[in-house]
Amino acid sequence: MLNIEHLSKSFGEKKAVDDLSLHILPGEIFGFIGHNGAGKSTTLRCAVGILQFDAGSVLINGTSLAEDPVKCKRELAYIPDNPDLYDFMSGIKYLNFIGDIFAIPAGVRQERIRKYAGIFELTEDLAQPISAYSHGMKQKLALISAWLHEPKLILMDEPFVGLDPKASHLLKEMMREHCDAGGAIFFSTHVLEVAEKLCDKVAIIKQGKLVKAGTMEEVKGDDSLEEVFLELEEE
Amino acid sequence: MLKVLLKKQLAEVFKGYFYDAKKNRMRSKGAVIAWFVFFGVIMICILGGMFTALSLSLCGGLTQAGVGWLYFLLMGGIAVILGAFGSVFNTYSGLYLAKDNDQLLSLPIPVRTVITARLVNVYLMGTLYSSMVLLPALIVGWAVAGATAARVICGILLFLIVSFLVLILSCLLGWVVAKISVKLKNKSFITVLAALVFIAAYYLIYFKANFLIRDMLTNAAVYGSRIKGAAHVLYLFGRIGEGDWLSTVLFTVVTAILFLLIWIGITRSFLKLATAGGAAAKKRYTEKAVKAKTPFRALLSKELIRFTSSPNYMLNCGLGVLIIPICGVLLLIKGGEMLSALNDVFAAMPDAAAVLLCTGLCMIASMNNMAAPSVSLEGKSLWIPQSLPVEPGTVLRAKGAMQLLLSGVPLVFASVCGAIVLDASPAARLFCVLLPLAFSLFYAGCCTALGVRMPLLSWTNELVPIKQSGAVVIVLFGDWILCIAMAGLYLLGGHRIGAVPYLLIWTVLFAALGVLLLRWLDTRGAERFQAL
Repeated sequence: MLNIEHLSKSFGEKKAVDDLSLHILPGEIFGFIGHNGAGKSTTLRCAVGILQFDAGSVLINGTSLAEDPVKCKRELAYIPDNPDLYDFMSGIKYLNFIGDIFAIPAGVRQERIRKYAGIFELTEDLAQPISAYSHGMKQKLALISAWLHEPKLILMDEPFVGLDPKASHLLKEMMREHCDAGGAIFFSTHVLEVAEKLCDKVAIIKQGKLVKAGTMEEVKGDDSLEEVFLELEEE
Repeated sequence: MLKVLLKKQLAEVFKGYFYDAKKNRMRSKGAVIAWFVFFGVIMICILGGMFTALSLSLCGGLTQAGVGWLYFLLMGGIAVILGAFGSVFNTYSGLYLAKDNDQLLSLPIPVRTVITARLVNVYLMGTLYSSMVLLPALIVGWAVAGATAARVICGILLFLIVSFLVLILSCLLGWVVAKISVKLKNKSFITVLAALVFIAAYYLIYFKANFLIRDMLTNAAVYGSRIKGAAHVLYLFGRIGEGDWLSTVLFTVVTAILFLLIWIGITRSFLKLATAGGAAAKKRYTEKAVKAKTPFRALLSKELIRFTSSPNYMLNCGLGVLIIPICGVLLLIKGGEMLSALNDVFAAMPDAAAVLLCTGLCMIASMNNMAAPSVSLEGKSLWIPQSLPVEPGTVLRAKGAMQLLLSGVPLVFASVCGAIVLDASPAARLFCVLLPLAFSLFYAGCCTALGVRMPLLSWTNELVPIKQSGAVVIVLFGDWILCIAMAGLYLLGGHRIGAVPYLLIWTVLFAALGVLLLRWLDTRGAERFQAL
C-alpha cells in the first residue's frame, strides 16, 4: 500500500530524514515512534506530498508520488499533528469542501457525514464556525474529513492528542475496522501503550534514521515497547 | 502589581515597534528608535500640524467676535470625538477581547487591578489622540487671547476633563460594541459597512471643512448666542478655556461623577462580557440537501468564503467591489459631460476620452487585489491544499478566478456605463468594454503570480499579509504606473495611430499577458506553490 524507499530530506544543513525505507501492507496498522524532532512528522509530510524530498521514492498502491501526486493523494487521507483547518468555514462547509474535492456524490457524502459525525458526537456543532471549536473538536472534524472519502491509506500525526477518552477509544475501533476492511494506517505517536496494543507493526526512528522496524513481536520481543524504545534511545 | 500589568499593556500596544512580524524577530535598537521617531513625526507634524492650522484659523476670528468660548467648545468637541472614536475599537478589543483575559483572571490578581490596567491603557490611547487637537488649541488660545493664570490653570484642567470625557465615551461605546457583538450575526459585513460609513462621513466633513469654518467665522455671533441659549451646558464647557472657575469646577465634578458611574458599571459587567466569547446563540446543525461541486468550484467557493469572512480582507483588498459599480452609476449621471469636456481639451487627438476612460477604469480596478495576499493567507492551513488531490495550478487558478469574478463583473458594468455616455465611434466604445475586461484578466493573473512568488506564511495577524506583503504593494503601485503609462504614451505620441488601434494594442497585450500568466500559474507557479 505504501512503499517508502531510501527517503532523505534535509532542512539546510540538518538531515531530518536519512535513507529511510518502510513498507506498509494492506490491513496493517503501522506505528511510527521516536523522540521529538526525530523525523516522524517530516516523513509523514513527505509521504503525503506536502514536503518535497531530496532523495528516494514514495509509492502509493504502486503509483509514484513524485510522478502522479494527484492520483496518489486520491488514495490517501492525512491528518497533521495540529489540525489547522479553515477557521473561516463552518464544520459542515469544510466537510462539503472535502467532499467536493474528492468528488463524493451528495447522497453518499451526507450519509457518511451523518455516520461519522454521529460517532464523534459532533453533529450538533457542524453549523458552528471552526474558529469556535476546541482543539479536540477540530481533531474530530479532521478525522471525519479523513474518513469521508473512505481512503485506502490513512496517515496521521499524533492522532490521539486532544481527544477525550471516548473519542480515543472510538478512533482505535475505527482504525481497526478500516484495516480489517483492507485499508492501511500509518501513524506517529508518543503514547507507547497505545502503539503496543493497537499496532501490527512498528518502526522506531532516531535522528532521521530507522533504528528498528517489524512486527510488534519482532521489535519488542519479551520486553515492553517502552523498555525497547528507551534502550534504543540510550544507545 | 498594577505597574507590572501596565508595563505588559504598553509592551503589547507598541509591540509593532519592537517586533518585526514579517521577519518574525525583534527589531534592532536603531530600528526601534526609527519607528518611534516616525510615529512621533506622524502624530506631531501631521496630526498636530493639521490641528494647529485649524486652531490658528478659528481662534483669532472667534475671540475678536467675543465668542472665545466657542473656539474652546469646538476644539474640545473635536478632541473628544477624535479621542473617543480613535480608541473605541481599542477599548472593545483591549478591555473585553484581550487574549490574555483568561490567563490574568486565573492569576492571583484582583479583577479591579486588571480593569484598572486596561482602563489606564484606554485612557492613554484616548489622551494621545485628543491631545493632538487640544494641545495646539490651548497653546494657540493662550498665544492669541493671552495666558493669564486663570486661563492656564483652567486650560490644563480642560485638558484633563476632555481626557476623562474621552475615556468615559470610549468605555460606553466599547461596552455597546461588546454587547452588540455578542449577539450580532454577519459581523464581517456589518464591520465593513460601519467602516465605509465612517470613511464616507470623514471625507464629507473633510471636503466641507473649509465651508464650515468660513460659515462659523462669518456667523460666529449668531451661532454663539443660539448655543448659549439652547445648550447652556456647551457654553459652560467652552468657558473653561477662557478661565471661568465656576464652569471648571462644575465640569470637574460632573466628569468625576460620570467616571465613577462608568467604573461601577464596568466592574459589574466586566467578568460577564470578558468571558462571553462563546455566548452567542449556538447555531444547531440541521441537515440540508447539498449539491456537489467540481474541485475548481469548491476551491473558488472556499476563496469567496475566506474573502467575505474577514472585514480586514474586504476593506483592504476588495473595496472596488462597491466602488467600481458606484463609478459606473456616476458615469451614467455625470460621465457624458465629463468625457465630452475631455474630448474638447484633447481636440487634436480624436477619441482621447475613450483612452482616458479606459485608463480610469483600469486604475479603479486596482482597488481589487484580493488574489495578491491569498496564498499568504493560507498560513498554517497550507497543508490542506497541498495534501488534497488537486493540481496546485487549480488552487492558484481559483484564487485568480475569485479576483476576476469580483472585479470583472463590476468592471463590465462600469465600462458599459462609460461606453453608453461616451461620444465616440462604435469601435472605440467596444474597446472601452474589452480593454478593462482584458486588464482584469491580466491583473488577476499578476496578483496571483506575485502572491505565490512572494508569500508570507508565518504571520500571526492577518493584516500583515493583507496590508504589508510585498505582493500587495507591488501590484497596487505597479498597476498605477502601468495605467499612467497607458494614458501618457497615448498623449505623447500614441494618438498618431488613432484611439481604436491604440486600444486594440493594449487589449491584445493585456489579454496575451493574462494568458501567459495563467500558463505560468499552471507550471512554474504550481511548482512554487507545492514547494512552499
